[in-house]
Amino acid sequence: MSQTQTIQLGTRTTGLWSKLKVTIARRTEGRGVALLSAVLIGVLLTEQTVFTAYSVTLSRIALVGLVALGLTVVILMGELDLSVASTLALAGVVTASIPDLGLGILAGLAVGVVVGLVNAFLVAVIGINSFIATLGMLFFLRGLALVISNEAPIKLNNVEAGIAFGQPLLGPITPRILVFILVFIGLQIFIARIRVGREFLAVGGNRQAARDAGIPVKRRIFTGFIISGVVAAGAGVMNTLERTAADPIAGSTVLLASFAAAIIGGNYLKGGRGSVVGTLIGAASLGIIQVALTLAAVQVPIQQIFIGLLLLVAVTTDPNNLRAVISSIRTLRTGRGKVVEPATSNRSTSS
Amino acid sequence: MGDPLTQVNALATSEAPKKEVSTGAKVLAWMADNGIFVLTAVLIAVAVIGVEGFASLQNIADVFHRAAPIGIVAVGMTFVVISGNYLDLSVVAQVATSAVILIAVSNEYGYVPAILAAMVAAAVFGIVNGVAVGYFKANAVIVTLSTTYIGLGLLRFFSGGSIFFGPYESPLASFGAGKLGPVPYSALVLVAMTVLLGLLLSRTNFGFTVRSFGVNERATRLGGTNTGLVIIGAFLVTAFSAMIAGFVLAAFSNTAVSSMSTGYDFRALAAIIVGGTSVFGGKGSVPRTLLGVVFVSVLTNVLVLLNISFGYQQMALGFLIATAVSIDALARRAGKK
Repeated sequence: MSQTQTIQLGTRTTGLWSKLKVTIARRTEGRGVALLSAVLIGVLLTEQTVFTAYSVTLSRIALVGLVALGLTVVILMGELDLSVASTLALAGVVTASIPDLGLGILAGLAVGVVVGLVNAFLVAVIGINSFIATLGMLFFLRGLALVISNEAPIKLNNVEAGIAFGQPLLGPITPRILVFILVFIGLQIFIARIRVGREFLAVGGNRQAARDAGIPVKRRIFTGFIISGVVAAGAGVMNTLERTAADPIAGSTVLLASFAAAIIGGNYLKGGRGSVVGTLIGAASLGIIQVALTLAAVQVPIQQIFIGLLLLVAVTTDPNNLRAVISSIRTLRTGRGKVVEPATSNRSTSS
Repeated sequence: MGDPLTQVNALATSEAPKKEVSTGAKVLAWMADNGIFVLTAVLIAVAVIGVEGFASLQNIADVFHRAAPIGIVAVGMTFVVISGNYLDLSVVAQVATSAVILIAVSNEYGYVPAILAAMVAAAVFGIVNGVAVGYFKANAVIVTLSTTYIGLGLLRFFSGGSIFFGPYESPLASFGAGKLGPVPYSALVLVAMTVLLGLLLSRTNFGFTVRSFGVNERATRLGGTNTGLVIIGAFLVTAFSAMIAGFVLAAFSNTAVSSMSTGYDFRALAAIIVGGTSVFGGKGSVPRTLLGVVFVSVLTNVLVLLNISFGYQQMALGFLIATAVSIDALARRAGKK
């Protein structure tokens, strides 16, 4: 049985080892796993407090990772949602400015739905590039948050509920960590097991083929942007509850951290490849690094440089991009006349 | 002969089967091309008639004075946008870095080392962005987002986040306050940069390659151009413009701090897009960006004169970008059908 399979896969060696190799080659989380292992070893050797104070580390990972999880769904489709940072701020401000807490939370989440709808409309119906459309939204929503809050932080009306929200439910599990785990499990099942979710990958891999196969591409784009909007809004609502106040300019560092988590986790920015698990691994690495750097009393600017460098390295060392780079270097070396196929070889590897 | 690029376009369209273009598509295309002229004229007319305090020589000189740093950034960033790489977010870090370097280093060692150091910083920014985007084919938005944080982090670390003051009487301060008749020097720098970069984009081989890269990246590469170098060039032009903008900004206030250029990325992009340069690449020009700068600056000035808060100004700019890009996208699609 293994023989027929290996023949189909076209590998040279046979047996379990080759199967394992194929499985590994298919996964996208390689760099994330490498970084996480390196970080874990480094932290074990230098700063064990990160593990003994694991409740702090866990809540940090949940803080970094939640927005990144929502973002992953959009990135898998080959789009990008830069507006998450201000969606987070706006949802927080809306929640705090409504006196009734339950109604406020609902309104905050509704902000996420509306933002997702507008983003998807600009991208799918009008046909604007999602980078520019969501960048416009990023600033529009920040303006809106400033207008609603009168350019000052708003105090939450129901402070007791906010304080209760920060308390652990079970062991180190605070409501924030619980929400993070639930969102992760939900999105993982949605993307990996449910047909609609799997179609997101098809939309990102080859949009025309997806359309020809009968996948409602526009509807999937709407769903994706709504998911990312609602998750970002949820993060904003939780921030407001935990801090018992809403900051209209919150979320500027969230943008960098959540993109770094998703990209380190191996999600390909042009879509079609990646996984929610990868984002979790990326978020875990980043969260642990941040906690370790803070515990080691490293200044905030240095932490910024560190995470910026990580993102820069992650985005430039994408395996697909590297293949293109290597082939172009080969072209330079062998001379332009001889090599004809780099463009086609690019296409065949990006399946 | 005419412009070679338009000839190529004309060739491409003549081969495609000709179809009737609907009036709606014509209107959209006209709006995408000429909307900015009408908009600017209407805005200025309304401001002159309706807004008290706008039509004074003092105020108009002030508008241009404030527009200069953002305008210089915008005319430079036009190169990145036309090459089809969306934008350079790291101009925020670049402007602040050059301003801080100019004042901090010149206080210690004089102007020549300060300018040289700022040029080195600008070259590093441009080359890092350009190599990552041009050779590693990484997404420009994410690359420049990360270089923004790296740059600002380095700046905050080395400056300690403190504000640097220039000496009370210095050539820099007198340049920042200086005027030629009613025109502030900073506005003259903006005009000079527009002419220089306009010629670079429309009259030189480099500018032609940047534009053709935005039209069709693959064709440009197969045509034998080293596309990586072109992208590095586009990011270098942006970086050096941002450096000069930093100088102008430092001269203007005679102080420098790492947070002084917050929002420049976005306002520059707004000016470029409103001016009619397409985010899809290939279409646009430097003088158009200057017009966009005038529009955005006059709009901001009017909103300030009317006592409208900063939040509404941000909303207006975000809305403007979304609308301008939508019109461009719809016009493109209608033209293709």
